[in-house]
Amino acid sequence: MERKVITIYHGPQHPGITGNMSVELDLMGETITRARTHVGYLHRGFEKLIERRTIIQAFTIVCRICVPEPDPNEANFALAVERLAGIEVSERASYIRVMVLEMARLGAQLLWMAGQSGSVGLGTVGQWSIYDRDLILDLFEQLTGGRVYHMYIYPGGVRRELPDGFLERLSALLDYLQKRLDAYDRLFFDNASFQKRAIGVGVVRGEEVLRRGFSGQVLRGCGFARDLRRDNPYLLYDQLEFDIPTQSAGDVYARALVRRAEMRESIRILRQVIAQMPEEGAIMQKLPKHRKFTLPKEDTYVAVESARGEFGYYMAGDGSEMIRRMQVKGPSLIHAFSLLEPLLVGEELSNVALIMNSLGICPPEIER
Amino acid sequence: MKFELKNSLAPLSALSKIFEHPQTLCYPEVKSETVSGYRGFHINDLSTCIGCANCQDVCMNEAIDMIAIDKDKNPKNNSGCIPRIDYGRCCWCSLCTDVCPPDSLKLESECIWADDDANRFLYQPKDKPC
Repeated sequence: MERKVITIYHGPQHPGITGNMSVELDLMGETITRARTHVGYLHRGFEKLIERRTIIQAFTIVCRICVPEPDPNEANFALAVERLAGIEVSERASYIRVMVLEMARLGAQLLWMAGQSGSVGLGTVGQWSIYDRDLILDLFEQLTGGRVYHMYIYPGGVRRELPDGFLERLSALLDYLQKRLDAYDRLFFDNASFQKRAIGVGVVRGEEVLRRGFSGQVLRGCGFARDLRRDNPYLLYDQLEFDIPTQSAGDVYARALVRRAEMRESIRILRQVIAQMPEEGAIMQKLPKHRKFTLPKEDTYVAVESARGEFGYYMAGDGSEMIRRMQVKGPSLIHAFSLLEPLLVGEELSNVALIMNSLGICPPEIER
Repeated sequence: MKFELKNSLAPLSALSKIFEHPQTLCYPEVKSETVSGYRGFHINDLSTCIGCANCQDVCMNEAIDMIAIDKDKNPKNNSGCIPRIDYGRCCWCSLCTDVCPPDSLKLESECIWADDDANRFLYQPKDKPC
C-alpha cells in the first residue's frame, strides 16, 4: 500500500499549543517527518512601542511580554535602567524583588504543571495546580493591586510597601505548598502513566545544548548546572543558599524532574528572604520627574533567570527621556525554532504537545 | 526506569479529595474579599482635583482626556477640567494615580461594570464608584 505524506497545522487554535503559534507538521502515518514553526499571530510590537514612550511609560509595557511570568521582564527593565542611569537600589527593595521573582517562578511552574499534565490527559493535576497558583496570585493582588500584570518592580526599587502581615501570610502559603508538592509527586511526577509517556521522549543531546545556546531546564535536564542566579548573580542571589537541580537523561521526564526540584528550591529561597529581609528601609529611590528622567548615551545588557531559562534585555539610551532601543531575548525564540523543529522529527503526533510544554515555549516573547 | 505498581496506584490518593469541601466560590452569592489597593476602576475626588493634567501626560495609552466641567469643581481647579478615562485603552497601570499631586485620583475595587455600548466606556470618574 502506498503511504502518503500529509501536512497539518498544529495550532494556532489548539489546546496542545502553548499560545498563539503553530507548528506545520508533515506526517507519514502518525510519525512526524518534518516540523516547521510558524509565528506571527501575536505580534504587538513591544520593542517599537517602547521607543516612543518615556522611561516611566515604557515600564508598564514590558510585563506584557510574558503572561505566565511577567516579573522577570519588570526586573530586567528596572536593572537595565538603573545600570544606565546609575541608580542604587536599597537592600530592602532588593529582598522584595527576589521575593516577587521567586513567587512568580513558583506560579509559573504551577502553570507549567497544568499544561504538561494536560498534554498527557491528567486533568486533575491541572485543576489542582491552577488553584494553588491562584493562592500565589491572591498574595500578588494584596502586594501589587493586580493578579497577573503586577507592574511592581520599578526602576529605583519597588512601587509599594509590603501590606501588614504579608510575610506571615506568605510563610503560611509556603507551608501549604510544601505539602502540596508531596501530593503532586504522587499524582503527577511519580505517576506511571506520565512516566510512560515522558521517559525517552524529546531527548536533547548534551553537546547540542551548549553549542546552540539553549538555557533553563533544557540545559539542566542534560546535566549542566547552569543558572544565572548562580553564574552571574543579580540582586541578592549571591547571599542566598540554593541548589541548581540537574538531571542527565535530557528527555521530557528529566526536564519535569528539574522543575519539580526547582519548586522546592524556590520555597527554600523564599523562606530565607522572609528570615533575612530588613524590617525597615527605603523601598524606592528618589527619581527625576516624568519628562526629566533621561538615560545617557550608553547601552547595556542585563539578564535574569526566568522559570524557563535566560531572559535578557539589551537597552540603549541616547540622552533623551526616550529609550533609543530595547531588545528582548527570551528563551522561547531559540527553543521554538532551533530546538523544537528537529526534536519533533521522528516523534508521534501525540507527543507534540508534550514536547512543546516541556520546553516552556511562550509565543508572546518570540514576537515582542 | 523501572515502573513500579505503587506509581500506578499513587494517583488514586486524589480520591480522598472527594470528601473535602469545594474550593470554588459560589458567585454571586459568595464574593471574594476585596483587597485594599486593588487596581480597579477610577474614582476622582472633585473637591481636591486641581485639573493639572499630570494624569493625561503620563498615560502611555493616551487613555485620559481632560474634559471641562461647570459644576462640583474645586475652586483651585484653574483649568476647569477633570480627567475622562477611556476604558477601551486603559491598562490599569495606575501611573495616573502615582503622579496625581493632590491624590484625588484613585483606583478602587468596588465597581463592577458591564455594558454593551462602547461609548459608555468613556468614563468621567467622580467621588463615588459608578
